[in-house]
Amino acid sequence: MRPRSLWKLIRVAATFAVLAVLWLLFSGSLEPAAIFAGLCCSLLIASISYDSFIEEHEAARNSIFPRLLPTLAYPFVLVAAMYASSAKVLASVVTGRVNPRVVHFRSRLRSDLARVALAEAITFTPGTISMDLDEDHFVVHWLNATTRHSARAGDEVKGTLEAAIKRIWV
Amino acid sequence: MIDWQGIAGLAREIAATVLCAAASVFAIAGTVGVFRFADPYTRLQASSLTGTTAVFTILLASLALSPSVAVAARVVVIMVFFLISNPTATHIIARYAWKSGLEPATGPQKRGKRGKRRP
Repeated sequence: MRPRSLWKLIRVAATFAVLAVLWLLFSGSLEPAAIFAGLCCSLLIASISYDSFIEEHEAARNSIFPRLLPTLAYPFVLVAAMYASSAKVLASVVTGRVNPRVVHFRSRLRSDLARVALAEAITFTPGTISMDLDEDHFVVHWLNATTRHSARAGDEVKGTLEAAIKRIWV
Repeated sequence: MIDWQGIAGLAREIAATVLCAAASVFAIAGTVGVFRFADPYTRLQASSLTGTTAVFTILLASLALSPSVAVAARVVVIMVFFLISNPTATHIIARYAWKSGLEPATGPQKRGKRGKRRP
């Protein structure tokens, strides 16, 4: 089998697995008819939409499939970061003192999925909003900026989030 | 004989009450921030306090109060989708403002006095 068609098969299988697990979670029934219908629909949708779910150029296996343990730990890191920065934004709402800046920095993450996850994590923590993402170049609006230096700003905004995502994907 | 089930139920109700109180503090602060801050980007930051932190805290409270594992699993699924959908919505607004050339106010700012015209 040629590598290209093998990769296509893997992509269809991965899409199918995700859809089937979501079906089981949402339907919540273990009747044979329900499971059969769910699996058939998952296969149909996977065969249509595998190409937009996992793009062809993401051929490195560890740029798509997350590692299990860091993935389970990641939500806790994210929620802790969210509450920490929420407290800071709460303080600046009360005092009315802000120092907004637009900072540009680069990320060391290599896969598309990891970069999107980092942009989502930056936006999810109050006080920072990612405004643009072009390859590895992030444009972030930062409410309480402490520095204008690009790399230092990147370290403060990304901080632990990038390290946590780097453990999941490359 | 200690009534462990009753104690667990009480602990869950107390946790849910504390979380809901925290959520309402964040929601009120976010709404106040939308009116206090001057420029669209900083207002978006303040509204993310309402849209993200308050909603997530309410979801945590409902997780604490969920009666069975099946309901709890669905709340967790809702949380995961919220983790994906909420930043996307905020990012779309900010990106549109940035691409359309709206200049963000930068530098240290303090809220003006009452009656002073704000930009």
